[in-house]
Amino acid sequence: MNAEEKHDASAPEDPHPTHREPEQAPTESPELGLKEENTESTPISADRETKDESASISADIEAPETVDGADRQPEAEAVPLSVEHDSPTAKPTPAAITEAASKEMPRGFFRERPPEVIEVAPQILRYRTRRDVLLFGVGAIASLTGVGFLLPQDTLERMGVHRGMSSPRKEWLLNRALRIDDDVAEALYSKNRMVPTYTKSQITPLKNNYNGATPDPSYISGWNLTLDGLASGLSISLDIRNLLTRFSSHEQITRLVCVEGWSAVAWWSGLRFDDVLHAYPPMSQAKWARVESSVNLDASGNPDPYFVSLDLPTARHPQTLLATHFNGQPLTVEHGAPLRLLVPVKLGLKNVKAITKITYTAKEPKDYWAERGYSRYDGI
Amino acid sequence: MTQDKSQQTPTPPMQTNNASTDTSTPGKLPDVPVARKHHFLVRWSHWLNVPLLLGLVLSGMSIYWSSPVYQHRPNPNTGNFDVVADIGIWLCAHVPGLHNYNSPPDWVYNHMSLGPGMLAAALRLHWLFAYLFMLNTLVYFLGLAIGGGWRALLPRRTDLCDALKMFRYYVGMPFARLSRRTWLHPPCHTKYNALQRLAYFSVPVAGFLSIATGWAIHKPMQLYWLAALFGGYDAARVWHFWLMWLFLFFVVPHVILAVADGWDTVRSMIAGWSVRVEQSEGFENER
Repeated sequence: MNAEEKHDASAPEDPHPTHREPEQAPTESPELGLKEENTESTPISADRETKDESASISADIEAPETVDGADRQPEAEAVPLSVEHDSPTAKPTPAAITEAASKEMPRGFFRERPPEVIEVAPQILRYRTRRDVLLFGVGAIASLTGVGFLLPQDTLERMGVHRGMSSPRKEWLLNRALRIDDDVAEALYSKNRMVPTYTKSQITPLKNNYNGATPDPSYISGWNLTLDGLASGLSISLDIRNLLTRFSSHEQITRLVCVEGWSAVAWWSGLRFDDVLHAYPPMSQAKWARVESSVNLDASGNPDPYFVSLDLPTARHPQTLLATHFNGQPLTVEHGAPLRLLVPVKLGLKNVKAITKITYTAKEPKDYWAERGYSRYDGI
Repeated sequence: MTQDKSQQTPTPPMQTNNASTDTSTPGKLPDVPVARKHHFLVRWSHWLNVPLLLGLVLSGMSIYWSSPVYQHRPNPNTGNFDVVADIGIWLCAHVPGLHNYNSPPDWVYNHMSLGPGMLAAALRLHWLFAYLFMLNTLVYFLGLAIGGGWRALLPRRTDLCDALKMFRYYVGMPFARLSRRTWLHPPCHTKYNALQRLAYFSVPVAGFLSIATGWAIHKPMQLYWLAALFGGYDAARVWHFWLMWLFLFFVVPHVILAVADGWDTVRSMIAGWSVRVEQSEGFENER
């Protein structure tokens, strides 16, 4: 930013700045002119003068230097910015040298360039240093405050900051990032892209990850699935035998990925959500499904209904199942008997166990985890 | 830039350099040669990495807490299965002053993350910083491309051997200083020495790999091929975890060496130029 201004008035970024020309004038020999041109780009006059002297004294020294210079020449040409080229001085280059130089051509582009050296008045250097260091300090303080501001309140408390730092703008910014990430996930989703499937030998154990306590299995005997928000305007109730006889069963061995980071490969079978959507079409303006389970409990065993939002394009994915079997056996209570959602393109937390109701809605329904600070689309 | 132009007027432009000794105003100090070191986009992104990586590491470790990569059978007494928690327990047992720490398993998480049990908050921060980090990486590569600095980062055939020499030099340096022995810097005529080049080349590569593994574990279904590239979802998590350590292992010597090298080096990353021009001239004699 600072370095260029000295010569950039005449030729910005020019590796062969024109300002050398006055210096070149006294050198009579074309070879010297060539050498001058090629060893330059460091316009330190004192140093160059000594070089010129040594060159004119001894031809032995000059010769290798000329080669060396020509060696570097194509490299300079590779610079797309080298506009002005002192072609008259370059002309007397012997053919042998140009040949040697052209051999070096392919490497030239990747070769490290000497740094641009310029001369600046000391007071300007001091001024710039002061300016840049001050700006840097301000930036550093600002960005560290920014990061500190974004930290969660609990973390700040732990660090000894007891002032309330939560603000609507902080929430807005963090939610914005979450939304952007959800939009990216939605853009990545394709109904035609299947998730990888595995073989039975790749199956891994799947722990009971019920949020809260595992419900008492007594609910299973009177279990019903209610469908709401249908095109017919009716509310439909189906029991498990209904579902199993009406719809064909599909199986797949897929990976279930938890938001926490662990995952498990399991063999699932059940009916396709898509088939249910065809048999009982949702109302025309529906874009979402609210999938809920009323039998869920919190950690102390009190009722804690679990509900998630699921976009209909994902519900229509051929690998989105209403699963009835796990690893070849009917679902156990730990895995959400008698019917659970299996949606491998979403995080595990969308895979509701023991579904009791599905409601189709036009507006995005509430989501248990989105209310607790997680994202809402959760596509993976 | 406009600012820079206005500053040009008081000082004569370079062409008069030769003549400056005789025509310049009397009493004026001679101009100093300075070498341009880093493009301003490179400098910006370099420093922005500090808060961004800090935020990513802190939130990342909080995410790690919820499902540690390194686990063992639960300890029958404590029920603990997390190796990082073991490290906290060990530290609190052996480091004086930590014996009374109220929850030893959480020590590492309390000091190297947002804290245990903060998954939702950590994920939100991690996504925000991850997107910013990706933008910053783009700015960095742009700066390297525009400024041509990428050439100085390319590894060379001789680098592995030379890097070992540099390593030996750095390690022996403090002892040589203490014993007042002369300790010669291995010859180096390029912008970076071999060890620097290896480090500064591998860190952007690691940054790129962090982003790639991050996507692989963030979208393991839609980007399953990316996860497969790193050996699957679980392996990609391990990669992602160790890439974080690579950054941390890099940062410590990087900061120590940059500061030990002196103000000129630090300033060159802030202001972009260096007064060490001699080195850059040796550069040309190298070939």
